Amino acid sequence: MASKEWPNVTVLRRTPHLRHIMSILRSVDTEPPKFAATADLIARLVVAAALEHVEYEDLKVTTPTGTTYDGTRPAKQICGVSILRAGESMEHILREWMPSVVIGKVLIQRDEETALPKFVFDKLPSKICNCQVILLDPMLATGGSAMKAIEVLHSHGVPLANIVFCNIIASPEGIDTLTKRFPEVKVVTAEVDDHLNEKKYIIPGLGDYGDRYFGTI
Amino acid sequence: MSRTRVRTVSLCSTAGSDEDEKAIAAKPAKRTVFMAGRPPWYDVAGKQQEALVIGICGGSASGKTTVAHQIIQELGVSWVCLLSMDSFYKVLNPEEKAQAARNEFNFDHPNAFDVDLLIDTLGRLKEGKKVNVPVYDFTTHSRLPDEVVMYGANVIIFEGILAFCAAELRELLDVKVFVKEDDDVRLARRLVRDTKERGRDLEGAIKQYTTFVYPAFKQFIEPAARFADVVIPGGVSNSVGMDMLIGYVKKGYQARGFDLKQDIIDLRLTQMPKSFHQMPSSRQLVSLMTSMRDRDTDLDRFVFASERVMKLLIEFALSFVPYDSVQVTMSDGSSVTGKRVTKQLVGVAIVRAGLPLEKVLRDMVRDIAVGQLLIQTNPSSGQPEFFHQSLPKQIHKSTVLLLDASIATGQAAIMAIRVLLDHGVAEENIVLVTLLASKMGVCSVAYAYPKVTIVAANLDTDLDDDLHILPGFGNFGDRFYGTTAIKGTSPK
Repeated sequence: MASKEWPNVTVLRRTPHLRHIMSILRSVDTEPPKFAATADLIARLVVAAALEHVEYEDLKVTTPTGTTYDGTRPAKQICGVSILRAGESMEHILREWMPSVVIGKVLIQRDEETALPKFVFDKLPSKICNCQVILLDPMLATGGSAMKAIEVLHSHGVPLANIVFCNIIASPEGIDTLTKRFPEVKVVTAEVDDHLNEKKYIIPGLGDYGDRYFGTI
Repeated sequence: MSRTRVRTVSLCSTAGSDEDEKAIAAKPAKRTVFMAGRPPWYDVAGKQQEALVIGICGGSASGKTTVAHQIIQELGVSWVCLLSMDSFYKVLNPEEKAQAARNEFNFDHPNAFDVDLLIDTLGRLKEGKKVNVPVYDFTTHSRLPDEVVMYGANVIIFEGILAFCAAELRELLDVKVFVKEDDDVRLARRLVRDTKERGRDLEGAIKQYTTFVYPAFKQFIEPAARFADVVIPGGVSNSVGMDMLIGYVKKGYQARGFDLKQDIIDLRLTQMPKSFHQMPSSRQLVSLMTSMRDRDTDLDRFVFASERVMKLLIEFALSFVPYDSVQVTMSDGSSVTGKRVTKQLVGVAIVRAGLPLEKVLRDMVRDIAVGQLLIQTNPSSGQPEFFHQSLPKQIHKSTVLLLDASIATGQAAIMAIRVLLDHGVAEENIVLVTLLASKMGVCSVAYAYPKVTIVAANLDTDLDDDLHILPGFGNFGDRFYGTTAIKGTSPK
């Protein structure tokens, strides 16, 4: 459902079942294999929700009964772009939902001196400007990397209105910063947490998503 | 008031690579790690070359950092680490902290530095090992929990007021430079810095200078000039001195023989090395590979076929990791001997084409940790460049499955193996896993690292002039991720 405070932000409906899988994901006792399996479940939900924000065109199909079904198909090529490396955990989910997606990647790193996000590397489809982009990153803390990635996409000619940022856990500060800076970008997330602490960690959060998903601890 | 120092920090940097638009413009001085890629730092046999270490010594505000940056710029070497002695200040005890707060602690004395740690760090960095450089907090006089990870560079510049203070330290320095500047010029610069940039009052700054800075300069720093190979009076403004210094450094750099590209192509292809294992051919494998190689195979079918092959390939590769015999008790109480993987397994993917293999590996080995190395071939030099790594901490104790979609010249794989060795992985514990290898690529890797097991689904004979595999399957990353597949504005 769309949030009242942030018109372009969609937060999954907070059902008891969603909270149950979220509690597995967040628990410090959940080991990497279980974490990854649970993360995939939630990613399916947010990616499906993100796909509701892309543009569709009408398509009539004939069923085996010989009658017509009024359907749709995406109006534009859909391109998933993952922010390495945690965002990569959501790529295969997007491909499950829509096998025709193409996938781009960007690597953003924290500059240790300035603590600001710094662009390092990208591999994007050559005609990404014509695509509907779903930007994948499970954690939105300060919003720094997401905004840097959006800048990169925009510099490749992607209209801001054609970007959906697909996320699993967001901080209210991150959402505020991102939506103020890029009001046209749509945001889809599973849960918005309480706050960022002084170290810029999401609280309660779940720790380092990439480390836990990929077992790099 | 505590003595807050704004100091030169240790960092890795790339020289002014204007042509590389991907490297976001920043002063070479002002960057952290991995901005543009790092060219090879080992010779054709994959052996580590020691880095060239330039030590720069000189009094406070003599212009050491400016000289360092000038060298970086003039050398035009793409991978330089700048190590600052300031990172190695000792952690102060409460008593010393109180002294520091009263401007009564001598930061200009050799005892203020952790020289043992410095020697160890610089030595390891010179050998090309990964080091964690402490980050010193000048307000609390302690080390911050976050360390800067530095990776052995072709050139290391080490600068500090007491850069020549220990014999062991001097032995690590290939070129020793002393920057000489008149005392009154240095004092003037220092006072401006202290009062304008560090908000100190003039009186305190002068007290610090006369009590500690000047006596230490006379006692420890100025006499160190006798160890220098080059003394540069007036720093960068001395263009004759700088030219001489840069010529000296360039010669030392070239003598290291870092350019390796031309050696590679001549490697003789005789028989395939024993460390190479190709998957046994089957009709299933041939049909899937046919589908991958067919240029008319669309994205969807390419992904399907390649994921199938990757599953077979990973199964095959897992037969090359070590297994121990274990006794297990059956449900009827009898005992049988079975097998269990000896070491923890780790997957390391070369970004981007190795990433699809990482996903398949994770699906098949339940508790595997995975890491990544970003290595890209520079289109103008044809050389691989190292940009970024994220590796699991326990990797040195593990058997590593190194994943890349194809091995053409083998240069990216050789670089990746070098990085793994530098992180403490044993050569015999590395299994290089690839869908498609060229004969030359396999031979190059096996020549450099004979103990690395190489596993491939298919082997092709030729490379074209652009070093692409023939017949090959095209650019795997582009085909798997569809990055060149977009034709019009609407989907097929």
